Amino acid sequence: MDVRAQTAMVFHLDKCIGCHTCSVACKNIWTDRPGAEYMWWNNVETKPGTGYPTLWEDQVNYKGGWEVTDKRELKLKSQNKKNFWLKMFYNPNQPTLDDYYEPWTYEYKHLTDAKLGDDQPTARPISQITGEPIDIEAGPNWDDDLSGSPIYAENDPNLSQLSEDEKRMLFEIESISMMYLPRICNHCANPSCVAACPSGALYKRGEDGIVLVNQDVCRGWRNCVAACPYKKIYFNWKTGKSEKCILCYPRIETGQPPACFHSCVGRIRYMGVLLYDADRVEEAMKAPLNSLVESQRSVLLDPFDPEVIKGAKENNISPEMIDSAQNSPVWNYVMKWKLALPLHPEFRTLPMLYYVPPLLPVMGKIGDGIYEHKTEDFFASIEQARLPMKFLASLFSAGNLNEIRSVMKKLLAIRHFKRAESRKELGSDKIRKILHESRMDPEEAEAIYQLTSCPGPYERFVLPPLQREEAMEGGEECPESCKGSCGLGDVQTPKRGL
Amino acid sequence: MMNQMFFVGLPYLALFLLVAGSILRYVWNPFSYSALSSQFLEKNALLWGTLSWHIGILIILLGHLPAFLVPELWKSLTSNFVFLLTVETVGVMASILCIAGLIILIVRRVVSGKLQQVTTVIDILLLVLILLQVVIGLSMALMHRWGAVWSTGTTTPYLWSILTFRPDISYIEEMPLLVQAHIVMAWIILMLVPFSRLVHIFSFPFQYFFRPPQKVVWVSERRKEHDDSLVVVQESRRDFVKGALGLSVAGALLSVGVLDKLAGFFYKPEVSVEEESKLLEQKLKRLEQTAEERTYQLERMKKEFIYVSRLNQLDIEKGKYFIDYLMRPALAFLGKDGLPILISAKCTHLGCTVGSELDNQGRILCPCHVSYFNINTGMPNQGAPALDPLPHLGWVIMNANNEIILEQDPSGKRYGNVNVSSIDKSNRVFIAKKHKE
Ligand code: HEM
Ligand code: FES
Repeated sequence: MDVRAQTAMVFHLDKCIGCHTCSVACKNIWTDRPGAEYMWWNNVETKPGTGYPTLWEDQVNYKGGWEVTDKRELKLKSQNKKNFWLKMFYNPNQPTLDDYYEPWTYEYKHLTDAKLGDDQPTARPISQITGEPIDIEAGPNWDDDLSGSPIYAENDPNLSQLSEDEKRMLFEIESISMMYLPRICNHCANPSCVAACPSGALYKRGEDGIVLVNQDVCRGWRNCVAACPYKKIYFNWKTGKSEKCILCYPRIETGQPPACFHSCVGRIRYMGVLLYDADRVEEAMKAPLNSLVESQRSVLLDPFDPEVIKGAKENNISPEMIDSAQNSPVWNYVMKWKLALPLHPEFRTLPMLYYVPPLLPVMGKIGDGIYEHKTEDFFASIEQARLPMKFLASLFSAGNLNEIRSVMKKLLAIRHFKRAESRKELGSDKIRKILHESRMDPEEAEAIYQLTSCPGPYERFVLPPLQREEAMEGGEECPESCKGSCGLGDVQTPKRGL
Repeated sequence: MMNQMFFVGLPYLALFLLVAGSILRYVWNPFSYSALSSQFLEKNALLWGTLSWHIGILIILLGHLPAFLVPELWKSLTSNFVFLLTVETVGVMASILCIAGLIILIVRRVVSGKLQQVTTVIDILLLVLILLQVVIGLSMALMHRWGAVWSTGTTTPYLWSILTFRPDISYIEEMPLLVQAHIVMAWIILMLVPFSRLVHIFSFPFQYFFRPPQKVVWVSERRKEHDDSLVVVQESRRDFVKGALGLSVAGALLSVGVLDKLAGFFYKPEVSVEEESKLLEQKLKRLEQTAEERTYQLERMKKEFIYVSRLNQLDIEKGKYFIDYLMRPALAFLGKDGLPILISAKCTHLGCTVGSELDNQGRILCPCHVSYFNINTGMPNQGAPALDPLPHLGWVIMNANNEIILEQDPSGKRYGNVNVSSIDKSNRVFIAKKHKE
């Protein structure tokens, strides 16, 4: 057993209102620089939809993530040690600017500086790359809220599991439904980007599992961009280096949650410590599709188990870290309640960001205009949901419907349970039956309700500050004067090489 | 002086900048080391451009290596004509690939507005310079054929003389201009490496063949000893073994050439007095021989006439070799009219000595790169690597009393009024100093 600590996350999708505040917070801090304009380390997608970059989930095209060979070996889809160098001259799987969008701004100055004339001056859109006027054809969140649209939503790779009938139902104009999917780097425990980097510039921090790119070591081969199945590594076209979400580690090190977590309006984001067994990662990631979620859970270690605590101490994991692991909201959602699921576990990277799938669109079934459950079978509505189970299963459980179903049952049961407290619609017998069927007791239902609906910041973010021996110094006059530079503590201008 | 500058000064400047510049750039500004890919902004033209260019140039550079590292082996290999032809053909095709690729790369950088944002003056300069270099290389391969052979005796020793700090430009001083341009250009491009994106060549990630897939870095001192733990173990081990094998083979091959040469320079063994005196003796002997040769040469140059042959010893089919006033080889034939034909035997291509037997079309062959020369006109055959005719020499025929009875100057003009058939065949043929202006 090799116990490691990981800063892990849960996003509760039922609470996401799709406001993009997280994206903007992130952009303002990290990616409002030349070369990074098109990057959204944090973005929020509408599902069904094609996402950003377009169709990122389509690994037939992008070849991201791992696959299990016939000999039961785990290997990168995009390359192996024999052929990687061939792809160094030209990477056939790398997305280009067109797969994201050409960043632009507006010629605001023209509004005030235009010569006197008959026409009202306008602020034309100009490309942030060339500075020339452009026709905008795509942008960040171009398909925002366009769930019913044939160009975007219908192309969602996750819909391939659905039958034609199911697809038609999904896009029936009156029952169109959608959900939001905020995405940041998953800081995976088996990251394919790290494994793909020829230069060894990408690494996972031992202390907290954050995955980073060493900008001084990166040589711009771009293999990571292709290998990351979530397309959360971006190529800075100006500096010629790869960049990614850094989980705001300078904030984390000083005890603050990352900017996107901090700014989240819906308070959907939870952050805590998970302990996992690094020795078991490889074997677990070879599991067949149907049991991938379960095998991913099997890697996580119970922070209350004395053996685990002993192992953690042997590995010099600090007592504060172990303490955080025991109070971790992530542990509760992922392991104790089994409510949070990994996004696309079939990429086999062991993502450390888990999602509680949304119940709301599922429950919005219209029966004669009534949004309510029918008769005795409380869970029937789940099966007839507008957002089909298969779609959610394709997103969060590699197609395993049972995993999704049990989460939905729990979420629904908690709703009945809390409603019964105030409205007394259902008798206590029925509530007990519902809770029993969804494998919960009232205490657990109450605890889930508390952590979901009424958590304070210290319940959502449970992290020991200053876990690094020396936190980076802030630098001289930062942050204002450091805008646009790179590095923390050791700040330098991101000057492109010749 | 110019030669010294281009072939000694420039190389050392280039090598100094290459080594010092690359290292300092790496130490001072590792952030600037990158291949600076532009695939993100434009990928369609890049696909054809970069693949053609890189595949071509890697083949060509690989082809340059053996002549440099293992010249003897290479020489014996290329003495097989089929092998030589294959090597040269591959080289020509690869350079055509390179040129096509470079043209695509240059055009795309000029045409695309987005790419102009990431194109510096150095980028364009570099692309144009290497295009020029490949074009020069290709023309060399076509005009001064069989470079795989002649380089082992010319550019290879020159390069080693530079690398071992005993510069000797005599090997290349008299090479054709094209070859010299190729050499100068190579130094210029090397000089540019630390100041351009070419540093990406040094970034080739050999370590990737060996490292485990996952990389974990412990920041805190406590955990440093657990560094770099593995996640996927088996694959990496197997690759390690394979990679290590590959590298050791490559290393062994390299060391044959490089170590042997460099060792002599860096680890000069202590020499004993005896050995030293032996060496001195040999050197002295060589000097004496040279002195003898030079005296002989001087004496010859002072003579008004130099004896070539008796008229009746000359043959129509097979030439007789002799040495002219400037110690160059020449051939003497008997012409159809019974008078001598004297012609230079130093090939006008790269200076090999031309063969002495006439073929059925009345031509002599230079074996080095296959040029045929007509002895009557001196002209090389159509398509031969040699372009200029072999010059004729003038001659005089003297009788037993040392009286000149017939004379012909290099341009073919005759002096003297004798019936050819009446000339005594035992008369002697000379070359004359007055024919050498
Ligand atoms: C050792 C193996 C090499 C690798 C892996 C490699 C890789 C690369 C890569 C990734 C690029 C960027 C292409 C892009 O825009 O995406 C590049 C560009 C370039 N490479 Fe190499 N290279 C190698 C060797 C060489 C050599 C030996 C030379 C020349 C002597 C060379 C000359 C160039 C040039 C001139 C460019 C710029 C092309 C442009 O205009 O974009 N490379 N190389
Ligand atoms: S030296 Fe090249 S053909 Fe004679």
